[in-house]
Amino acid sequence: MVERRVIPSTLANLPLTGGETLPYEGVAMMPSVKVIKVGGQSIMDRGRAALFPLLQEIRTIKDQHRLLLTAGGGTRARHVYSVASELELPTGLLAALGGYVPRQNARMLQMLLAEDGGIYIMTDDFEKLPLYFRLGCIPVMTGMPPFGYWEKPSAEGRIPANRTDAGTFLSAEALGSTRVWFAKDEEGLYEDDPKKNPAAKLIRRIGAKELISRGLKDLIIERSALEYLTRSRYVREIQVFNALVPGNLTRALAGEAVGTIIYQD
Amino acid sequence: MGESLQDREVLAQTDSSNEFKILPDVILVGIGGHSIFDRGRAALLPLAEELSTARSQKHKMLLGVGGGTRVRHTLAIALDLGLPTGGIAQLVGAMEECNAVFLNALLAKHGSIVMQREHFWELPLYLSTGMLPIVISIPPYHFWEPPPEDGALPSHGSDFGLFIHAEVLGMKRIIFVKDEDGLYDRDPKKHADARFIPRTTLEALLADMPAELILDRQLFACWKDARHVEEVQIVNGLKPGMLLRALAGEPVGTIITKETRRG
Repeated sequence: MVERRVIPSTLANLPLTGGETLPYEGVAMMPSVKVIKVGGQSIMDRGRAALFPLLQEIRTIKDQHRLLLTAGGGTRARHVYSVASELELPTGLLAALGGYVPRQNARMLQMLLAEDGGIYIMTDDFEKLPLYFRLGCIPVMTGMPPFGYWEKPSAEGRIPANRTDAGTFLSAEALGSTRVWFAKDEEGLYEDDPKKNPAAKLIRRIGAKELISRGLKDLIIERSALEYLTRSRYVREIQVFNALVPGNLTRALAGEAVGTIIYQD
Repeated sequence: MGESLQDREVLAQTDSSNEFKILPDVILVGIGGHSIFDRGRAALLPLAEELSTARSQKHKMLLGVGGGTRVRHTLAIALDLGLPTGGIAQLVGAMEECNAVFLNALLAKHGSIVMQREHFWELPLYLSTGMLPIVISIPPYHFWEPPPEDGALPSHGSDFGLFIHAEVLGMKRIIFVKDEDGLYDRDPKKHADARFIPRTTLEALLADMPAELILDRQLFACWKDARHVEEVQIVNGLKPGMLLRALAGEPVGTIITKETRRG
């Protein structure tokens, strides 16, 4: 057999097919960054009434934090999924198509925050975050991870499992942040959908594994984000809060337990 | 349109019994980095010749390349530095891209082209004009690589990336060109008594996964939920003619099939 031209290294001759555990001491990239997802259906689609007070709150606190905003998709993304699903197109295609709407929403956020340093960034600009923060900017990007056509088939149905919650979570994990925030239109996580069942009970604090094991029929956050929280190296908590209530964002970023906290258990 | 996309009933409604196949007649051919490219001229030139023959036989192929030893070196340095998993995933594609350029140089006169990700929808053009598109295998998960189950290395490698590329396009067959005759119960380079497995199923592998594999574990995990890929064949690219025989449908090397269908 012809010899290989190999660069000697600790991994030169391992199978490297997955699951290797090797000595590793992680370095967090930018743990001070606070990643906040602005909900698509829950905030953006409500328009001015929901968004303007939240943006005003962001303007007030922006100099106290390094904020990275991510945008959700919402109703138009659901429409895309619905059309694509009826055509029986593959999940990877749905993921690629589902990416257009959160980019629109991120651009809307940028326009409204432009005067305050709002800057629209693509996933390829992620490495320029230190520059944007040094300039006092508020970078705004899509919440969608860049998986697109390479998104895996989902175990249940054909909607991509990694959407804007998962992408936002993974942005925070890549930066080495310990908490990630989700601005939604409910007080937090309920045992049932509070929009349909007004008696649904609010859960203030719960472990990710415990939450998954409860097998709730519906959730306020993507299941994939919860799964990632069970094994993430940096992110320890997901905080979901009602951004329609003025002051909640400020309190959540200050470390107060508003809404629901899902933690790594 | 206002329903929750986390609602299990809503998700179940999006299931499909006959998902649309975008390019079902194209075969994906993945060429190993560590197994083929790192062996240089002696391994690559005959294989390039075989690929040009395959093209003249009108096989519709999408070629993919692995990164090999430079990827391993990148990973080793990045691990030692403690770079985050997503940061490591961001780095490795560049080393594969070098191999795509090498292969493109060897096959250019036969109409090869390196397909950039943003040119995804030019693929039908390349294929209908008889070109040989070469894709980057590593999926574009980059900084967003999900936390691995174990360790810090990204779990979505090049075998998985090629698999998912084939799956989204509705392809039925993938042929991996490696430096072994196929799948063994143990690494045949380390164990002289390793048992060759000419034919098996995904279900059998998932039930009893060999400790040392020739393909990424993630590929098999993903195949379980996949709908289109029916067959993964592994052939020895160091033996002349094997790839052509596999393309012609001969059961050379190892053939892994999936028994359960998901429409």
